[in-house]
Parts: sequence; structure tokens; C-alpha cells
Amino acid sequence: MFLRPQGKMLVPSLLLLLMLPVTGAATELSVTESLQSGLAGLGVSGDHGPPGLVSPGSTGEQVQPEVAEEEGSHHGGGFKIVQWEWSYVQTPYIISVWLLLASLAKILFHLSQRFTTVVPESCMLILLGLVLGGVVLLAHEKQLYQLEPGLFFLFLLPTIVGDAGYFMPSRLFFDNLGAITLYAVVGTLWNAFCTAFCLYGVKLLGVIDEKVDAGLMDFLLFGALISAVDPVAVIAVFEEVHVNDTLFIIVFGESLLNDAVTVVLYKVYMSFVEVGPANVGTAECMKGLVSFLVVSLGGTLVGLVFAVILSFTTRFTKKVRIIEPLFVFLLVYLAYLTAELCSLSAILSMTFCGIGANKYVEANISQKSRTTVKYTMKTLASIAETIIFIFLGISAMDKTKWAWDTGLVACTLVFILLFRAMGVIGQTWVLNRFRLVPLDRIDQVVMSYGGLRGAVAFALVVLLDGEKVKAKDYFVATTIVVVFFTVMFQGLTIKPLVKWLKVPRSTNRKPTINEEIHERAFDHILTAVEDIAGLQGYHHWRDKWEQFDKKYLSKLLLRKSVYQKSELWEAYQKINMRDAISVIDQVGGQRVMVHSRRL
Amino acid sequence: MGNKQTIFSAQQLDAYQDCTYFTRKEILRLFSRYRDLAPQLVPLDYTHQPDVKLPYELIGSMPELKDNPFRQRIAEVFSEDGEGNMTLDDFLDMFSVLSEMAPRDLKAYYAFKIYDFNNDDFICKLDLVKTLNKLTRNELTEDEVRMVCEKVMEEADMDNDGRLSLEDFQHVIVRAPEFLSTFHIRI
Repeated sequence: MFLRPQGKMLVPSLLLLLMLPVTGAATELSVTESLQSGLAGLGVSGDHGPPGLVSPGSTGEQVQPEVAEEEGSHHGGGFKIVQWEWSYVQTPYIISVWLLLASLAKILFHLSQRFTTVVPESCMLILLGLVLGGVVLLAHEKQLYQLEPGLFFLFLLPTIVGDAGYFMPSRLFFDNLGAITLYAVVGTLWNAFCTAFCLYGVKLLGVIDEKVDAGLMDFLLFGALISAVDPVAVIAVFEEVHVNDTLFIIVFGESLLNDAVTVVLYKVYMSFVEVGPANVGTAECMKGLVSFLVVSLGGTLVGLVFAVILSFTTRFTKKVRIIEPLFVFLLVYLAYLTAELCSLSAILSMTFCGIGANKYVEANISQKSRTTVKYTMKTLASIAETIIFIFLGISAMDKTKWAWDTGLVACTLVFILLFRAMGVIGQTWVLNRFRLVPLDRIDQVVMSYGGLRGAVAFALVVLLDGEKVKAKDYFVATTIVVVFFTVMFQGLTIKPLVKWLKVPRSTNRKPTINEEIHERAFDHILTAVEDIAGLQGYHHWRDKWEQFDKKYLSKLLLRKSVYQKSELWEAYQKINMRDAISVIDQVGGQRVMVHSRRL
Repeated sequence: MGNKQTIFSAQQLDAYQDCTYFTRKEILRLFSRYRDLAPQLVPLDYTHQPDVKLPYELIGSMPELKDNPFRQRIAEVFSEDGEGNMTLDDFLDMFSVLSEMAPRDLKAYYAFKIYDFNNDDFICKLDLVKTLNKLTRNELTEDEVRMVCEKVMEEADMDNDGRLSLEDFQHVIVRAPEFLSTFHIRI
């Protein structure tokens, strides 16, 4: 689905970098700084909103008089036929050039077929980022571009999560919701605490150098942010591997749902670190627990509210078909921002908004709008992913931001792998007593190995306040190493591992009308059997939900003309259309071949 | 625990354990569920093998099942007399087929039987039409139902005789790897 680049873009990047000195001292802003000055006006803040964003007022003001000076010099010199308006177009120009670079790199990457099958795109992107970072470092002695947390959390992450949430197969997601929630909550907590305590213990033992000035609280904070499985990395790596759907949905669902846990832990420990470890009492811990419930349930609720608003709105868009996609994008993004606004879990909000709205929106909007929404979201998500990985690579080259300690890095790596494996095994043992289809050893291996860390951890660690968390630089370096290790090493080796273990792959079958019928029929049959036995099992509840949906929700949220048609008919239409298109493609393909032979 | 139950004789329990995929505990549990359906009809003492049948009306009139399009068919398929009157054996059989230990072929066979309304061992066009109407609660027009049925035949009918045999059906099911997990109830 996503194209990936390869790194041999030195020439254009050098050109770009050479342009910068030309424009003079006034314009030595990084991309993100100029963005920040724009964003400062919005008064953005919040827990994912970084300290970095709030500072721009001063830099913005500095720019103004210098720019005015330049413009003054323009006007003073008489009429010029052609003028160099760099300061005017600077920000959008740089952004566009970066996007262009990334996209061109993708094309180059796919020129080598053999390479693409072995090396996942995320690896190549990070390598490209490293190379570019090195170039910038050499040219400018300091790092101009980096992955700013504000940019990441406000623009890049929502794009990817929105795409993932909207196209999440909801049936599969809810079938496995128990497993997903267990791994997300219990698994992340286990990882966080164990890693933190073990690192602290190791520090007391002296394996970690004295220079790393961190107490238990600091390690707890670090443990919280390094232990969450990252959705961006999981998508990037798993989509190349094509494991079976159940396995993918469990790992991916976990990476989305653990956001609530990460947010709460991060905030709680930040406040503990600020307050000082001596002042932490049980009241604070209770507040943390309550906070978790509020954040997760609140985020979900916000998402569902927006889902209802979105579905309801699309019910009336028959006359304004052309802006239907806009509603989808805006409302899903607003779900994210609103949750951020109230410091709830934004990822949960966006995910559930997408899942909830998908069914009704896809039924309400026109075919063209469906296509537009699908491809725009995928394109944007692809771009965002590319930028994230490239900037991860570039940020790694910024020596001023990190400090190296071998003990810390090595121990962290060992601990996260170890505790991930232990956590997965333990939880799977518990889960298998309740699951219809148990998760076997091979699934567990893939799940442990697929617990990738990524850009979210990096953004969170960069957000740390260097004054309060003295060991920040060491943490940053460790996070970089961990992220690189998981994305690159584990990303590279997971494909051969999956093949070696003979993990059942996703078959990518086209859905047939037979399956649609049988799935529905079986649902009814099994519900009936459950009712006869007086069991209130899974099917019973799912059937109750379906009835509620049919009676109330669909009436409210679906367009009248759609509401009356059965879902089976819609499914039949889709399948028919897909088959017709594939026939035309085949025939058309043959015709093209005939033509080219004639030529 | 132990052998203190008085509902079945020891041989009966053994026989049940052989015929179905259940353990002693599960059989006793299923018996109590069976009894809950009609406490006045089902005796607590099965050692003399009483000939007790739960009439179809009992199952058909359950409020949870009133919206379910397949309730009659299920009762008919899993009852000995084919009328929907269930003995305890039929009840146990039903859950045994749907349990996790039952092999895929057995499940496919019973699923096939449920669709086969006229009991001729083939799913013909009429059977499909009936199934579809039940699934869509008669919302589709005749033409639409006909079109969907044709597509189903097109996809599944391997020997091109205009109706689906058990082999055709199993072929379709084999291609859906989740069938085993979908057609499954845990007691």
C-alpha cells in the first residue's frame, strides 16, 4: 500500500541546503519554527503540546523587523523587473520540497525489486533520514530540522491514526476486543513498571553510570514512554509482512488502545517528578487511577459523539456531494483535536470515531466520495509516515540533543524485549481460557517480536523538561537507539522469522457473496442455539446490538433510501461492481498488449 | 463431586461421553439447561430412559428467538423426527456439533442441512431463495433475490447442475478459513 523511498538524494538535498545561506541570516529558521510562529497565534497548548511550541513568540518577533528591513531595501531601490521573494514563500516552499524529496525517494526505492522484498520501507526511510541529517550537520554545524513534537502530534500522527481507525475492520476488531484491551492495558502497565524498576535496580547496582542523574520517578517516567507499542511502526512493518488478520488486529489494536495508558502514565509521572518524589502519596496514586478511567472512557466517548455527528451530517449531504469528503476529514480530525483539548486520549477518540462512523458514512456518501476519502486518507497517511521516519533519522544525527551511556542503552533494550515476551506469554495464557480460537506459540512469538517502539516514544521523550528531568539527554539517546533497533532490526528480521515459523499469512481473498450469506446465516443460527440453551454468550450480545442498531441507530444515521435496503444487497452490489471492474481490467489489459505488439 | 449424581446411570453417561465431544461435567450442565426449558416435562431421573420430547412450539415461542429467521430450521435439523421436537439426545447432539472439538466436515454437513429446506440433499434455487428471504426479512424484490441467487450459484456450483451439492458447499467453506471459528459455540 505505501511506497517507500531509498536514499540517494544527495544532489537535490544539497541544492536545497545551499539555497539557505543565500537567503541571509534573517531566514535561518527551521521549518517547524516558522510553523510554530504561525501556530502560536492559535494559542495551542495541552499535554501533547510541547513547551517548544509556546516559545515562538520571541523568535517570531525577531524575524519581523529583519524581514521588514529586507522589504524596505526592495522598495528603496526603484522598480525591479524580477525580485527574489524568498521570505514570502519560504515556509510552504520548504515544506513542499521536503514532501517532494520524500516522494521521489519512494520512486527510487521501488526501482530495485530485490531490495524492496528484503528491506522494509521504514528502514530505508530512516537510513535516508540519517544520510540527510549527516549532510545538514556537515553543511551547517548544527541541526536545522528535527521532529518537533508539536508538528508530530498535531499533524503527522492524526493523519496516520485517522486512516487506520477509519479503515479498521470493525467486525474483527470487536471480535478480539477482549484480547486487545487486555494487552493494551495490562501489558503496557506490566512493561512500564517492570522496565522502570529493573532500570532503577540496575542503576543502584552501578551498571548504569553515575552521570545519569535519575531517580525512581525519572525511571518510571521513562518506562512509561518507552513501553508503549507504537501504531506507526506497527503499520509500517506489519503491512509488509502480511500476517493473518487476527494476529495483525491484535497487535495493531493494542498499539492504538495503549495510548490512554501511555498518556495517563506520562502525565502522572511528570507531575510526580515536578512535585518531587517525597511528596507522592496515595491520594496521587488514586488520582492517577481515576485519571486513567476518565482519559480512556472520555476519549472513547468524544470519538463516538463525533461519529454520530459525522454520520448524521452525511445523511443530508445529497445535494452537496462535492464536499462530502471534507466532512469526513474535518470531523475525524476535530475528534482528535477535541480530545487533545480536554487532555483526553486523542488516539482513542479518533479511532473510535472512525470505527463508529465508517459503517454509516460509507452507506450514505456517493461512490465518488468514497473513493476520494479512501485515496486521500491513504495518500496523506503515506506522506506522514514517510516524513516521520525521515525526520527520525535526521533527529538522530543531532548530537546536541543526546548523551550516550552504554549501560542504560543496553539494559533498556534487554529489558523491553524480555518483559514484552514475558507479558505476552502470561496474558495469552490467561486469554486462552476465554477465547474461542486460542493463540498458539507461534502467534505469541510474532506478538512479542512485533511489539515495536516508534516515533511516539521519541516525541514524548523530546517533550521532557530538561530542567526537571536531569537525565533527559541520556533518555533521548536511549529512545533513539530503541526505536532504531525495533524499526530497523526487528523490521528487517520479522519477514524471515514469519516465513521460518510458517505463520499463517493473510490470504487477501476477495470476499464472495457466499461468504457474506454464510456469515449472516451463521450469526443467526448461533444466536438461536445460544438462546435455546439460555446462554448469554458472545452471539447473544452481538445480536442484541444488531437489533438495537437496526431499530434506532440506523434509522437516525442512515439516509432513508439506504436504510430500507438490506446490507446483504449492498454487499452484493459491491461484489458485483468489483467483479465487473476486474473483468474490464483484464480485457482492457489484453487489448493494450495487442496494441503494443502491433506497434 | 464424584459419582453422586442420580440423573443418569453410569453406563448412560459413558455412552454420552462416547457419542458426543463432551465431558461428564459438560453433559450434566447441558442437561440442566435442557431441563430449564420445560421443568414440568423433563424428569430428574433419566435412568429408565424416558421418552421425553420438547415440542417445537416450546422452542418456537421463546421470546429471544421470535426474530430469528432460522429457529424452525435448527429445531428441524437437529431433531430425530424432523418435526422440531427435541429429545435430550438431539439437544446434546446440537451442541456437540457446534463445540470446538467437532471436526470441520461435521460442521459443514450440518450447516448444509440447515440450508436444505426441502431435505433432498441438495441446495437448489428454491432453497437459496428461501434462505435469502429469511436473511433479508423479505426486504428485497423478487428480481434482486434472483440476481443474488444466480451469483451464488455462479460462485459455488462446481459441477454446473444448477444446484449445490455437499461437495460444492464444502469447497466454498474450505476457502473461508474462519469457518471453523465462526461456526462454534462455547458452553
